[in-house]
Amino acid sequence: MEQAVQTVIGGLLQGTVFGVVALGFALVFRVTGAINLSQGAFCIVGALAMYSFQVSLGWPGWAAAAAAVGVTAAAGAVIGATTFVPALSRLPVSSMLILTAGLLTTLEGLSLVVWGSQPYALPPFSGEAPVSVLGVRLPTQGFWIVGAAAAIIAGVWFLLMRTALGRALRACAENPTAARLMGIDVPRMTLFAFTLAALIAGIGGIAVAPILSFQFDTGRLFTIAGFSAVAIGGLGSLVGSVAGGELLGVAEQLAAGYISSLFANGIALALLILTLLVRPSGLLTAKRTRREDVRDEHRIYHPVVRLRGRRAVVFGLGAVAALAVLPWIVPPGLMNSVVITGILFISVLGLDVLMGYCGQVSLGQAGFMAVGGYTAAILATNHGWPPLAGIAAGLVLSLACAVALSLVTMRLRGHYLALATLAFGLLVESLAVGMTETTGGPSGLVGVPSFSVGPFDFGTPLAMYYLVAAVIVVLVLVLLGGLRSGFGRALQAVRTDQTAAAALGINVPRYKMAAFAASAAAASLSGSLYAFHLNFLSPDMVGLARSLEMIAMLVVGGEGTLVGSLFGVALLTLLPTIFQPLALYKTFAEGLLLVLAVRYLPGGIFGVFAQRVLNPSARPARSAA
Amino acid sequence: MTLEARSLSAGYAGRAVVHGIDLALEAGEIVALVGANGAGKSTLAKSISGLLPALSGRILLDGKPIERASPAERVRLGIAHVPEGRQVFSGLSIAENLRLGAWVHRRALSEMEMERRIARVCEAFPVLVERLQHPGGTLSGGQQQMLAIARGLMAEPRYLILDEPSLGLSPILVVEIFRMIEALRGRGIAILLSEQNARMSLAIADRAYVIETGRVTIEGAGRELLRRREVIERYLGVGKGVGASDDARSARLTEGLRRIFSSRRIS
Repeated sequence: MEQAVQTVIGGLLQGTVFGVVALGFALVFRVTGAINLSQGAFCIVGALAMYSFQVSLGWPGWAAAAAAVGVTAAAGAVIGATTFVPALSRLPVSSMLILTAGLLTTLEGLSLVVWGSQPYALPPFSGEAPVSVLGVRLPTQGFWIVGAAAAIIAGVWFLLMRTALGRALRACAENPTAARLMGIDVPRMTLFAFTLAALIAGIGGIAVAPILSFQFDTGRLFTIAGFSAVAIGGLGSLVGSVAGGELLGVAEQLAAGYISSLFANGIALALLILTLLVRPSGLLTAKRTRREDVRDEHRIYHPVVRLRGRRAVVFGLGAVAALAVLPWIVPPGLMNSVVITGILFISVLGLDVLMGYCGQVSLGQAGFMAVGGYTAAILATNHGWPPLAGIAAGLVLSLACAVALSLVTMRLRGHYLALATLAFGLLVESLAVGMTETTGGPSGLVGVPSFSVGPFDFGTPLAMYYLVAAVIVVLVLVLLGGLRSGFGRALQAVRTDQTAAAALGINVPRYKMAAFAASAAAASLSGSLYAFHLNFLSPDMVGLARSLEMIAMLVVGGEGTLVGSLFGVALLTLLPTIFQPLALYKTFAEGLLLVLAVRYLPGGIFGVFAQRVLNPSARPARSAA
Repeated sequence: MTLEARSLSAGYAGRAVVHGIDLALEAGEIVALVGANGAGKSTLAKSISGLLPALSGRILLDGKPIERASPAERVRLGIAHVPEGRQVFSGLSIAENLRLGAWVHRRALSEMEMERRIARVCEAFPVLVERLQHPGGTLSGGQQQMLAIARGLMAEPRYLILDEPSLGLSPILVVEIFRMIEALRGRGIAILLSEQNARMSLAIADRAYVIETGRVTIEGAGRELLRRREVIERYLGVGKGVGASDDARSARLTEGLRRIFSSRRIS
């Protein structure tokens, strides 16, 4: 009994922090209608800055805390002013999600460069000895966490509901155009909300830092927890986000205490998926809905860039010839990376169908790589299945997952598919970590055989290269054919305007499901080939970081172009291999490239390439909604 | 006391929708903008209030250029814009909507002055006073239109741009809104009235501009335009080849409407 109370209290403490992060989400969402995935990263920036001031520089606790909060808020203000706020008036909501995913990666990369990859810990603010209340031992840091959270919640509530500034913030949230007519400076209000959210995250991060160990990429855990909390509690509801955080925290602690800590994540995610299934708007729905019609005015949706007629044929033949001779040009040491580029490209191709053509954001593409990869690898390694049969089994399982997921999210739009795929990817990742017996756990599955069909063995990088190249050529041809038909037009109609597409008689859920299934199948195939090629598979190779990386590759290369993303994949895979000393900067560069591409290069590298070099006459027509 | 547009062009994404508009608005007059759906009336209104940037030309307030000023500065200078479709903050209470109307003066106004101003603005809209603490979204369409106008008046503007105030309202409410607009003129506020209901707006307007495909094609005194043959044919819903009797009927109808207004005019 006492242990149960202890566990619940631990859960409430953890939940309080989740709730604080969720509050930041809710604040930014209320004012801008965008979900800021970089929210959690600010927690860690705060905690790491606190460490530098308090431990490295030896400042007193209060001064260090104040300085760390200041640094976090300043980082928020700079990032908000240079990226988030200017992008908000130009990009559709789905691109904002990608932009903030890029900001998350950028902040993690920056933390990696500044603070390195080692874990840190902070001393508790008021000593190690716990206080005993009615026989229950409470860590003193708990009081700091609850106190900070209570102050933040009360402060935010007072600001929003009782001050003129709060009134203006709520006005921006509801109708930015009318707010401008009142003379309210909407970009400034947005920046204020973004900075305030960063400040809140910083305080939360500093308060919780003494009870956990943290490193440069712990921020994503806060983002995930906060995002889940806000989704469970009700998107945009302030009370709901705190309640969702507490629920999530207690569920995780109970799961960790009574089942296994390896599954703690899984339980939380199951809770999230259950919420999406039963009550997609969350437990407490925000009463004030924003006017989406007003918000989406003047957004520019870039049309899909494509080559036409003979140019396309010439370009295609040239590309196939280049693929054939590439192994003779590339130094042998790089061959492995080239093969990996090709394998990842297969997965990104699928992502392009879903994101570039159908306009749905998936944050869990690597989850399908994991399903395909682990299924094929386990069947081939432990059960002696031929690799091809393993790949087929992986495909079947991935498609089943994709269909199940899209049945859950079919009725929902925008953020919910992103949310569900994020949860799915993390669930698969936590299963891969937790089911140590079958998957090899965190250290990975070793001894995966090479790919072979009957007597033909693809054990060398060269053999694997031609196999992957052939798969890519076939896939690109099939997808090009498919996407130039009525099917592709229907997908693009869904991307541009779901309501209008539905009004035209397009069965929107069916097309979304088809695109989702196609992307899952490509990822699954890619995951299987990945395992067979490296003879190894570990959870972090196909985890959230990979999902985000693939989004970066797609957007940098060029969304909605099929072949364009190859530029992005090659850039982000080969550059770190060629310039080994720069590996430290890889994450940072990845995030920065993604942010810059979303902001300034909507057609990606290929968009520029196709426009300038291949199709000089065809200017993509800009359409303002 | 003049608000002027000189060869003003404005539009979306760098493409002009209105071209080279010349327009003037003097204190104490109602100027009507008449034109078909899509002619550019709302675009013109938005560019004067600063929601849309001017692509070329000038906007002069008492001779000073303001076309580069932000919407906030223009509200401060005395230009308020009541947008098409009302756009009240439906989740915020009516009192909060009104307070936001005076956002640019928030530092200059004490709490008491703010409350006094709300009371003063609401004199003409008694229905709002009863429901100050209710969310704006609970009002009917006509009441929301009144709230939108009241919210615009909270900034104590000298120039009021009204974009389609009669849109979607029942005929009785339309008459009431038009009466209110006339009363505002009586208080010395200059009103730019953009309306598809050309007959009624011309009937109360001192002057009017007819806009076609983004250009001013006809201008003149309101009542004079009501009698102009091309205006009647295009905007007053009477087809070509109207007989004398039809002309006479339309004149009688207009006269009738004018009498309704003058008899109910509030000062």
